[in-house]
Amino acid sequence: MTSMFHRSVLALAAVALLAGSSAGNAQQQDKNRALKKYESGTKEFWTHPPDDWFLGDETEAQKGLAPPSGPPTGASDTELANIVKKIKLPPGFKIEVYASGVLAARQMAWGDKGTLFVGSFGLGNVYAIKDNNGKKEVKTVLKGLNMPTGLAFKDGALYVIAVDKLIRYDDAEAKLDNLGEGKVVYDDMPSYAAHGWKYIAVDKDGWFFLPFGPPFNVGIPPTSVSQIRRVDPKTGNAEIWALGVRNSVGGDVDPRTGKYWFTENARDWISDDLPSDKLNMINRIGEHFGYPYCHQGNLPDDKFAMGHKCSEFTPPVLNLGAHVAPLGMKFYTGDQFPAEYKNNILIAEHGSWNRHKYQGARIVRVIVGPDGKNPKQEIFASGWLEGDQGYLGRPNDILLAKDGSILVADDWAGAIYRISYSKK
Amino acid sequence: MRRQFFPYVIGALSLAVLAFVSAQAADNAAIKEKTAACAGCHGENGISQTENVPSLAGQPDQFLQWQLVFFRAGSRKNDQMQPIVEEITNEDIRNFGAYFSQLAPPKAPEDEDPDLSKKGAQVAAGRRCASCHTDTYAGTKAVARLAGQREEYLVKALHDYKSGQRVGGGVAAMADVAYHMSEEEITAVAHYLAHLQ
Repeated sequence: MTSMFHRSVLALAAVALLAGSSAGNAQQQDKNRALKKYESGTKEFWTHPPDDWFLGDETEAQKGLAPPSGPPTGASDTELANIVKKIKLPPGFKIEVYASGVLAARQMAWGDKGTLFVGSFGLGNVYAIKDNNGKKEVKTVLKGLNMPTGLAFKDGALYVIAVDKLIRYDDAEAKLDNLGEGKVVYDDMPSYAAHGWKYIAVDKDGWFFLPFGPPFNVGIPPTSVSQIRRVDPKTGNAEIWALGVRNSVGGDVDPRTGKYWFTENARDWISDDLPSDKLNMINRIGEHFGYPYCHQGNLPDDKFAMGHKCSEFTPPVLNLGAHVAPLGMKFYTGDQFPAEYKNNILIAEHGSWNRHKYQGARIVRVIVGPDGKNPKQEIFASGWLEGDQGYLGRPNDILLAKDGSILVADDWAGAIYRISYSKK
Repeated sequence: MRRQFFPYVIGALSLAVLAFVSAQAADNAAIKEKTAACAGCHGENGISQTENVPSLAGQPDQFLQWQLVFFRAGSRKNDQMQPIVEEITNEDIRNFGAYFSQLAPPKAPEDEDPDLSKKGAQVAAGRRCASCHTDTYAGTKAVARLAGQREEYLVKALHDYKSGQRVGGGVAAMADVAYHMSEEEITAVAHYLAHLQ
């Protein structure tokens, strides 16, 4: 573990030196281009935001970088057996395939009776996985939803968030054969796809933290987005808890303090090594986390800073690295892992697309106290990335199981893994 | 990428290879038989002679597979395709992708309106089509080949994206791009791409 840490410190130092020069060039080119203007006062903006929302800021050297697409039918069982053999874990930990054929698997949530619910990305499916004497039965229980990436289970009901609709399906575990139409309990959300897919974190009061991404890479966001809201699924009441947040698709409530921590994907197209993606904590309601003025706590945006200083904004708890794409995260509250893992944060990094040599596609462990001071990160699970751009899988969510093991969702291989620990 | 996972077992290599080869041959025959159902609309050798039906020959393997997965999941809707794909297995999908991607792509017809093509080329540049579809418009991975596709089908596909009937893969980039295109642009870019070799 120590040696791993040293290596990552050295790697980071090298990255910082390189970044100094290449970012300089990219930003110079960037400066010469006119500022784009979006008209968010029209209805059209909210249904069809700018068509250049993820392309358009690229330099010539960055042309061709685009989100990669995985195997459409996921990995076969044979392929998965080979993938798990390649995953590196600390001593004593073991990874196995929990379920396969869970295409485009995203956020996971447990039903009270042990059903595992799983959302998906572009496919529009929600799955229910049941354990039949060790054999996992994967059933598609909802179809045709709009990017139902996030879900939660509360008081017997399954909640699914599909871009602009939070839908409740009552008594879900008893109705897996027909969940019905559900009831929309909150819909004060824009309908665009761009950064519109979401994640649900339930707090102790039963309210949901929901992210609202801006419909572009970087720009001055309309006032109702680039924020995190806290929504009461019972009444539809909502509060704005964080401002200045770009694309967040993961977060968890600190079991020690009740505060909300969340991952955030930073802007693209500056360079391979800038800016860093972040882990944040909301200390008090209404904090501003810097987007689009300041990135990674210390990098004013070349165009959009417009006189703002980074010191005006809440800095990240931790910079996780450039283009690692941190998504789902959980505090480890189980008893199976060694005691020093208690209340550590495990983050699923989906991995890069906006970088010539991908990084991420792994699980990192963050060791940090409740105040967010002196965080340390180390790699917990890796091996889903081969060569410069070769994904075998892309972890994107983590969920604790009753026995203290963790489940990991992989939307590239279309699988759920289980990682467990045993002393021997 | 994905073929590297075939489970060769060194000790039983010769046996495994024999079994593998014959299984593969059987697969090929079986898949050819299954593709007969496709030929009715998509044409012999995956080159469509039917209006508003795309040629499949030479499309990227992953793109073909994704469309079948989308049809099966119901996120791409089509009355003809729906009943066919409902019961299709993952293995069938992989086989169809492999089969059609290896066929020679259609030959583009002679361009009877080069001025329109010129305009279409400008539209394509302005809309950054090549960023995903590649400079030759042969497509790659999950992104479709556009070069040599049927002209009226390209118009149809752009209309389907523009109206939101079709969302496309990943981050819905096509729906966003097409929404902002004028009829004039659609006509020109479809003509240009259909006549690209």
